[in-house]
Amino acid sequence: MSQSQTHNVTDVEVLAIGAGFTGIGLGIKLTRQGFHDFVILEREGDVGGTWRDNTYPGVACDVPAHLYSFSFKLNPNWSKIQAPGGEIWDYLRDCVTDEGFWDNIRLNTDVTRARWNEDSKRWFVETTNGTWSAKFLVTACGHLSDTRTPEIDGLDTFPGDIFHTARWNHNIPLEGKRIALVGTGASAVQVFPELQAIAESVVLFQRSAPYFFIPSGKHQAFTDAQRRLFARYPQAMRDIRSEIFWYSEGNFPPRVQVPKLLEKARNASLKYLQESIADPELRAKLTPNYEIGCKRILGPGRFYATILQDNVTLEASALTRVDGSSVYGANGDGYEVDVIVFATGFDATEPKFASIIFGVGGQTLADSWKDGMKATASISTPGFPNLFITNGPNTSLGHNSAVYIIESQIDYIIDTLNYVNTHHVERIETTPESEQEYVDSVAARAVGSVWLAGGCNNWYVDRRTQRLTVSWPDFAYQFRQENAKFNPTDYVLESVF
Amino acid sequence: MAEPIAQDLVTGTVDVDGTTVTYFTAGKQDSKLPPVVLIHGTAGSTENHFSFVFPTLARDQRVVSLDLTDIVGKPEITVADLERQVAGVVNHLVPAGPISVLGYSLGSVVAAAYAAHNPDRVQNLVLVAGWIKTDTQQLVRQDVQAALRGDMAAYKKLSLVLAFGVPFVAKRTLDDLLTIAPPPAGGMEFIGKLSDLNRIVDITDDMGKIKATTLIIGCTYDMMVPRHHSLALFGAIEDSRYTELSSGHAIVWERPSELALAVREFLANPNAYPAGSIIPEVQP
Ligand SMILES: Cc1cc2nc3c(=O)[nH]c(=O)nc-3n(C[C@H](O)[C@H](O)[C@H](O)COP(=O)(O)OP(=O)(O)OC[C@H]3O[C@@H](n4cnc5c(N)ncnc54)[C@H](O)[C@@H]3O)c2cc1C
Repeated sequence: MSQSQTHNVTDVEVLAIGAGFTGIGLGIKLTRQGFHDFVILEREGDVGGTWRDNTYPGVACDVPAHLYSFSFKLNPNWSKIQAPGGEIWDYLRDCVTDEGFWDNIRLNTDVTRARWNEDSKRWFVETTNGTWSAKFLVTACGHLSDTRTPEIDGLDTFPGDIFHTARWNHNIPLEGKRIALVGTGASAVQVFPELQAIAESVVLFQRSAPYFFIPSGKHQAFTDAQRRLFARYPQAMRDIRSEIFWYSEGNFPPRVQVPKLLEKARNASLKYLQESIADPELRAKLTPNYEIGCKRILGPGRFYATILQDNVTLEASALTRVDGSSVYGANGDGYEVDVIVFATGFDATEPKFASIIFGVGGQTLADSWKDGMKATASISTPGFPNLFITNGPNTSLGHNSAVYIIESQIDYIIDTLNYVNTHHVERIETTPESEQEYVDSVAARAVGSVWLAGGCNNWYVDRRTQRLTVSWPDFAYQFRQENAKFNPTDYVLESVF
Repeated sequence: MAEPIAQDLVTGTVDVDGTTVTYFTAGKQDSKLPPVVLIHGTAGSTENHFSFVFPTLARDQRVVSLDLTDIVGKPEITVADLERQVAGVVNHLVPAGPISVLGYSLGSVVAAAYAAHNPDRVQNLVLVAGWIKTDTQQLVRQDVQAALRGDMAAYKKLSLVLAFGVPFVAKRTLDDLLTIAPPPAGGMEFIGKLSDLNRIVDITDDMGKIKATTLIIGCTYDMMVPRHHSLALFGAIEDSRYTELSSGHAIVWERPSELALAVREFLANPNAYPAGSIIPEVQP
């Protein structure tokens, strides 16, 4: 890194925004290559992304941790199949420590603007903590990092405490409180049993009922002997990874017009509901009114068992109105509560970072994406040279580990950097034709899929255009086949000479 | 009622020397890839062995499959009989042009023989858990299975632990295995005749005639057709490449996604690996 005298701008070859799985994975790969001219800017006071922000009681990964971790950094010490969030956060911190690149990370550095400069062919990145210029910019800002809270009439009149699962306030005790829990997504079903156990009462606002995977019946915790075996014989971890990976891939086809496999998945989930909930009225409320897979299928955990507890009320409608300490469902029923917990997820279709990235001619990425996110190989878009977008358009999986996709995107970036170095390329910009070809190919695969045709509102589809912009409508394996290598023919390349 | 195994599935029958053979076809219409023909194994059917592979491949190309069928009144079924059923369906649905053929277990014996006798039609060939010549290990295993026929519960248990890979079985209960494995298809009489055929397979002479670009898929933990048979095919077929997947013989139920994607990748670009290559198993 070098400090240019005049502008107080720090020059760097590669700059990544965000120190979650993506930023850290990239840091590991660059460091291992002996490439140190990079910096990772992180707005918060620590690394970890999702796993630093989500500390609500019960937080854990739902993809088993032996798969939901880097293939190049296996961890023999996971305590459980679905590791607690705190362990994943520690794992990510350990990654940085073990690989020795804390010096490349700037914490408490919120990127406020990144501007492409055509004269110098560099990105200028303004932050709350200094300015950088970089040849390559990577947005590693996550797709589930900016929280979404619905607009609720009268919420400002609520006298009690309001939480979002991704911004938990551990200073406020919840023992003996009356709690409204809003949402039935992945976070809600994890926090729900924990709240039920300590609260006086919990009312659960359910806009739509979730489908669950059937419980595997496997023992959650790993024994000391198993962990020692993993450390002594790492192939045992790789075997587990493969097993979970291919099992999970098996859950993809039901999402894309395979009637028999769709029926099988739906029947299994509904049978689990049937066996768990005897009361027909309650069961009706818990029966999803859309096709399985249209929303994320959730890990079974203790959701149904918790619903049956005496201090729990299921309100099968959305929270629509608050009046003082009374909260009302769309059905009109009201409840007195002390605390509202929003488990209402994140803004994924219109990521916030898109409005602070200014490309050729000063247009923002958000402008360029006003009809929905799109990018060649899910990573680069015309008008934004030398920019890699990660966890952006068509990268989300409903059925397998996000880290597998993240690693593919990291491979793509590393491959590109190696290419431009050997070929002395200074500027790369993908062509509109290549982007369109990719968008069309993805759209063709999404036709008739459960996300588009499953009869639900989900966060995978852009509400403005009804295009599937968040999910990847194919096997995870296929993402890596197509999108882990730089393809020069998708780009206009400008050389130094 | 049961849903079809693939979107827009077309089902029909052809007559092969007086036997009515059911076929299934579906898949991408405008694909540049040649249609792929699937041939199931003993006690299987299209639905029983290919409910994952069929719809997965159908996303990219046309897929044709048939249910091998008993020939009533004929006490012994031969490889040639089954080959004629394949030819009947192929000639009806895809009368001309290149095709790909995939066979699984006994189906791969039929597929290899068909490819040997139709080198002008079969451009690509996939042999999953196949073999050339039955050996002592298979015969003894079949003797023991046959001896247990009188004790259905024991027979079923033995069949399950032989079909699935050892590590897969180790992590599941017997009930789990029973739900994963669908009941045998084809009827007891036909299964009996195919079992007899399994004992006398020998397609050694056909090996040199296979001209197709071939992928051999062996299963690491296979105890019914152990992997040395796949390696023998790898040696015997000139234009072949070999890959091994971490599964037992019942790969169509145990690792269907890994199987389907290995096949998809091969059919999309059969010459990506030159003849003689060992394709490493993916480490996700
Ligand atoms: C509760 C929860 C459970 C999950 N469980 C799973 C699971 O089991 N399996 C799975 O596959 N996926 C899961 N996910 C999805 C998860 O988000 C991804 O797997 C993964 O963590 C994304 O990593 P990332 O590095 O891309 O983004 P993040 O982890 O979100 O990190 C992005 C980082 O960028 C920083 N940042 C953003 N904007 C700026 C800015 N302007 N300036 C500076 N820094 C910025 C953020 O502070 C954050 O640290 C889960 C998500 C949640 C919320």
